Amino acid sequence: MDTSAPSRRAVLRWGAGTAAALAAAPALTACGEAVGAARTTRQAPTRRGQKVKLVFWTWVPMQKTVDLWNRTHPDIQVEMQTIPANVQGGYQKMHSSLTAGNPPDLAQVEYHELPGFMLVNGLTNLSDYGADELRDSYVPWQWQQGVFDGKVYTVPQASGPMGLFYRRDLFAKWGIETPTTWAEFEQAARVVKARGNGARLCAFAPNQPTWFAAMCWQRGARWVRTEGDTWIADMDNDLSREVADYWERMVRDDLVFVEPDMSSAWYKHVQTGKIAAWVGPQWGDALLRGNAPGTAGKWRVALLPQWKAGQNASANWGGSSTAILQGTRHPREALRFAHWINTDRKAVDLNISVGYGWPAATGIFRGSALDKPDPFFGGQRYNDVFTVSDRTIDTSWKWSPTTDADFAQLQDAFGASIAGDGSLAGSLAIAQKRTVDNLLAKGLKARSAR
Amino acid sequence: MSTTTSRRTTSAPGGSRRSARPDRAAWGFLLPFVALFLFTFVLPLGYAVYQSLLTPVRSGPLGLGPATLGFAGLDNYALALQQSAFLESFARVLLFGLVQIPVMLLLSTALALALDTLSHRWAGILRAAYFLPYGVPGVIASILWGFLYVPGVSPIVDLLGKVGLAPDFLGYDNVLWSIANIVIWEFAGYNMLVIVAQLKAIPQELYEAARIDGASTWQTAVRIKLPLARPALVLTGVFSIIGTLQLFAEPLVIKPLTSTVTNSYTPNLSAYNEAFANNNIYLAAAESVILALVASVLSFGFLSLVNRKERRDAR
Repeated sequence: MDTSAPSRRAVLRWGAGTAAALAAAPALTACGEAVGAARTTRQAPTRRGQKVKLVFWTWVPMQKTVDLWNRTHPDIQVEMQTIPANVQGGYQKMHSSLTAGNPPDLAQVEYHELPGFMLVNGLTNLSDYGADELRDSYVPWQWQQGVFDGKVYTVPQASGPMGLFYRRDLFAKWGIETPTTWAEFEQAARVVKARGNGARLCAFAPNQPTWFAAMCWQRGARWVRTEGDTWIADMDNDLSREVADYWERMVRDDLVFVEPDMSSAWYKHVQTGKIAAWVGPQWGDALLRGNAPGTAGKWRVALLPQWKAGQNASANWGGSSTAILQGTRHPREALRFAHWINTDRKAVDLNISVGYGWPAATGIFRGSALDKPDPFFGGQRYNDVFTVSDRTIDTSWKWSPTTDADFAQLQDAFGASIAGDGSLAGSLAIAQKRTVDNLLAKGLKARSAR
Repeated sequence: MSTTTSRRTTSAPGGSRRSARPDRAAWGFLLPFVALFLFTFVLPLGYAVYQSLLTPVRSGPLGLGPATLGFAGLDNYALALQQSAFLESFARVLLFGLVQIPVMLLLSTALALALDTLSHRWAGILRAAYFLPYGVPGVIASILWGFLYVPGVSPIVDLLGKVGLAPDFLGYDNVLWSIANIVIWEFAGYNMLVIVAQLKAIPQELYEAARIDGASTWQTAVRIKLPLARPALVLTGVFSIIGTLQLFAEPLVIKPLTSTVTNSYTPNLSAYNEAFANNNIYLAAAESVILALVASVLSFGFLSLVNRKERRDAR
């Protein structure tokens, strides 16, 4: 039995051989079956007085906003359906519905997922329906996240400009000034370790590659770019390695907790004052408020520490768009709704009340629900900080169509390096190689930057 | 006693006659099963194999244009087997099985033997108590244990910390065994029940005979009960092998609590992430097929191993 079994190598060789032979014979390929969206968007004619019904998938509890729309727009009724958040299944549901040909008209899609949806032809080209005229209503870099090959594919909704959340009472107790550079931040961490009785300045979360990407984004690194028709993965660059080495030192010198953020252990540390700061996004305000109500009034927000004193660079973590999926019969009506839900002042205020993030619409912050002193942050108008942060985000950051897979592998490499197998900087090299593999596996052209 | 005789009288002459001419009624009874089997097992399996042979072919600027499906041959399998993380996941579950299955089966057998000798009223209550964890869905059990593992939240970790021990249940070296603990907690009672049922089927005359011959409780257990409970042990062994390879819910639930559980911690988790996070269903299909193959090789291998031994013992 053993002698007749072909070796693995032989099987692989056979596989490669047959694949090549079969690829050359078009009759045997899978009959040109399309990948991704089974149905293409086409505007259905509507008669006067006919009610249009739209289905909207999101995990943000925006029902109140949708109710307001339905009250004020009797001819276009929107049904909001709650789906699992992002990678917990929501996107897979969208991809399956696209393949099956029964997608919702609208869906919430994060910016870093958009290239992945483009890859399966999952988004409606909104330029055909007049979306370009709406451009001036939105923050330019967020608008650009949904533009591919000069065409508009989504309406931006919200983002997550980064800032430094910190406990002013604890900083005062330990005699720490608010750090303005990363060197000062590290110094502060040493002070907390020395005087904090078991507390740490913050936690390093190996499970959060998106956060780490934001750190590299601020440093000026770019992880993905394109040259001609080739995708180029560039995680393992000098700037990103500098960021990696910085956090490596923080971890090795025991200056930070190493634990997943937004986990029960992390919340416990936040609640009990064992963690004195969080480098987080604007939407993190809701997380702190909701999970550590006992610390109300003690928090403040500052700008991100800088790599060089006097610089003013920020980055983004998270952010979503309202996408109009391929296959809808009512793209015009869907676009109207998508624009309204993201720019109407009342709609935005309702969205803010459920913590949807930093509005993508320009000029809407002043006078909104975000623009007032907040008792949780000791009466600070903390969103003024994020207004500055939002303006200083480098807007040339690009995402790869395989972000989820790339980040999963970066996350795994981080986990291994924390356990002593490799370094954070080494993880970047691993992730870069895997990113190229992931892109190739999707049938794209790809290579490493070096 | 009456059941054995009645079976013998009906099966001996009738069996030979029926085998000559298949009974239509039997097919009628089998039809619902066969239909379900085809639709819920063979068809999806075939579809998975089909998908594992496909790959998208891209066009347009940066590959963002329309794509079609092309035939990939065994490329997806080659890709899966080149991923060291995927191969490591197999090594991990095999190591897991090597430790967890014997521990669990020993525990189940010991519990079953103990319950079998206990008086009836207590046996019933205890049996229900041991079986109870099986009624808790795996996800819930994992959440429950997850909280008991996380420092700062867990009373167990706090208590152990007070006496000077600082166990890191979710650390790199320990997390696999923390997961094994959850699995044992869940399934030991279930396996025990299977073994108990087999023990109950042993004719009481054998025990009487053993008692008359002067066998102690221990001797009865080792010489009579264990050999006769063998079919149940084999069955639970096969279940455990398959269950080990399919390890999924526990690591998935523990994952957010620690960075030591990777995205391809077990083969199932790897396929799940390919399909559900990376939207790469063709590679996921290939990984699933490989997993199915390994699971069937191991479980049939185990069966033929124990059966061969059984035949040799019988001779």
